[in-house]
Amino acid sequence: MENISNQTKNFFLRILNIPFAFLMHAIDLIMWPIQKIIGVRNMPYIFLLPNLIFFGLFVIMPLVANFFFSLSSGDELLFAERELPTTKQYDQLFDCESYLNPNTCTEDFFWRGVYNTIFFVVFQVGLMIFFSVLTAVILNKKIIGRGFFRSVFFFPVLLSPVVVGLIWQWILLKNGAFNAIIESYGGDKVSFLTDPSWAMASVIFVSIWAHMGFYTLIVLAGLQAIPPNLYEAAEMDGTSRERIFFRITLPLLMPNLLVVFILASIKGVQTFDEIYVLTGGGPGTSTSLIVQYIFTTGFASSGSVQNFGLAAAASMVLGVVLLFLTLMQLYFSRNKESKHQEI
Amino acid sequence: MTEIILKDIFKSYDQTEVIHGVDLKVESGKFLVLVGPSGCGKSTLLRIIAGLERITSGEILIDGNEVSNIPASERGLAMVFQSYALYPHMSVFKNMAFALENLKIDKKTIEEKVNSAAKLLQIEEYLQRKPKALSGGQRQRVAIGRAIVRDPKAFLFDEPLSNLDAELRVTMRKELSALHEKIGGTMIYVTHDQVEAMTLADQIVVLNNGYVAQAGAPLDLYNNPSDIFVAGFIGSPKMNFIKVKAIDKSGSFNLVSDALNLQTNHKNLQNNTPYSLGIRPEHIEVCEQQNSDLKVHVNFTEQLGSETYFYCQGEGIKQLIVHHTGQYKINKGEELYLRFKRDSVHLFEENGMSVSKKNN
Repeated sequence: MENISNQTKNFFLRILNIPFAFLMHAIDLIMWPIQKIIGVRNMPYIFLLPNLIFFGLFVIMPLVANFFFSLSSGDELLFAERELPTTKQYDQLFDCESYLNPNTCTEDFFWRGVYNTIFFVVFQVGLMIFFSVLTAVILNKKIIGRGFFRSVFFFPVLLSPVVVGLIWQWILLKNGAFNAIIESYGGDKVSFLTDPSWAMASVIFVSIWAHMGFYTLIVLAGLQAIPPNLYEAAEMDGTSRERIFFRITLPLLMPNLLVVFILASIKGVQTFDEIYVLTGGGPGTSTSLIVQYIFTTGFASSGSVQNFGLAAAASMVLGVVLLFLTLMQLYFSRNKESKHQEI
Repeated sequence: MTEIILKDIFKSYDQTEVIHGVDLKVESGKFLVLVGPSGCGKSTLLRIIAGLERITSGEILIDGNEVSNIPASERGLAMVFQSYALYPHMSVFKNMAFALENLKIDKKTIEEKVNSAAKLLQIEEYLQRKPKALSGGQRQRVAIGRAIVRDPKAFLFDEPLSNLDAELRVTMRKELSALHEKIGGTMIYVTHDQVEAMTLADQIVVLNNGYVAQAGAPLDLYNNPSDIFVAGFIGSPKMNFIKVKAIDKSGSFNLVSDALNLQTNHKNLQNNTPYSLGIRPEHIEVCEQQNSDLKVHVNFTEQLGSETYFYCQGEGIKQLIVHHTGQYKINKGEELYLRFKRDSVHLFEENGMSVSKKNN
């Protein structure tokens, strides 16, 4: 009986083997002559080649093209038809009587974007770190439904920024859900998205809501990496709760908070889509950040206002800021690894 | 000096009871060691005393005061953890000063206390270093120093030497013993290593499955184990056990097995009843055939130079360990004739309880 079942198994295995054998031979047919020419040691490069081609075509080449665009001027798309090289775009971007007053700059829209971005990043990152730590500390305690709450706080991270923008637009518009609640309690409607004094605060709030879960997770991982017996030792030492938090938890969490700070800053500087859907950068330019300036200047404007060169120059400036933040992140994540080894 | 008393302590985690009514008295200034195999509840009991675990029922008295519901920070005890639990971001000085800063003691006093403890533990030169820059032994000293500076009512040690290598463990054992003599505080020490227990303790408490199996002075436990568990746990290598039957020979008893027929001075035995005979490796002598109690075959020998251990097998005996002072050359499979020291033979009933040698 066993013999028959083995025979059947072998029969099916042999049939299954046919397409595999065919495929293997086909691959061999291509690989064998290549290996003959370049040798076994160089074969890994052949396997990497498809990826390298895609990376070069869609990442490196646009990056280089962007750099040359920033050093060219004209309305044409082809380099042959553009004036090259010229620092005209950078001169235009940085042409300001006073950098502290965007009205005195030729590209006042760019400088408003810069200041809005700085304001946005400072408050969004600061508040996000505060709320992430607060949430992580609570979620690290043995509370009822801890797993559920961890999922709930992480859920917005999974949403696309456009969806986030649309959800909150529906809630925060003058005729939105939130104003309906305010009105039902006898309050006056608030123009969360169209009043310049409210718009930036609303945008920061929505951005925190959308991204906090991810940073909470990083902080939570940091909290869980702190050995529990440090807290027990502190308890035996008669340490108050506040002192435990500020003298033990926070210093040991610092490597994680640095990573959160830098990652959130990188993300914050790049913010575009949520705000674009939520307020479109308005009212006026009150919520318009650098990326929106780049998008509007390079693509959204029409005719002679559209300026690839200027947009490319602005994106190079943004690139330098992001490079600096990324290098900081790399430096601190290496430090964090060695700190964790210490514990 | 502090006296700690535990009365009828029970501890359960959900439905699982792990400590089943432990009574214990730690006399003032004594070094008490809680010893037992993994999972016997010794660390739980220590954490209960520390206040890091709440009891299900019972009473904990420190110097006569009920502290069962008092938090760890107010019990006035200091604990040294197995993993040292040093704050990694603080220097050695800061680690030792942390508890004193909590008490808002002035800086000068803190400095004096830390320096004095550092001197006692010979870690003065490391005070500005971070824990990561210290060896295991130095870290352990810092952990002890952190406990000393607080002038606690009692010291609690949770397997403090188990992360150290064998050589350092021996050194630290001696230092701990010397430290106890110097500062003279009440100390409770948890270990699974019975050698540590024997060498450090004034009093040993052997725990088994959440019960106190036996408490007493180290040699009392060694010489008069109350049950087969304590007999097997205390002593290294372990006591040998042989299944025997007691046969009445007109007034006295013989202990009989397939390989053994031994007259015993145990009196209160039941005729034709099975017992476990316990004999420590050092209480078995190698002898001539005519004086022997038992013939075995040698499976394996450990030649340590000053002493030799034979791992033997006999008829109905799976393994018998024999200690021999000095060197003894013998090949695997060779016969060995053994004689038991009569006064050192222990007998245990089927329920594991020891049989007294005295008449009832």
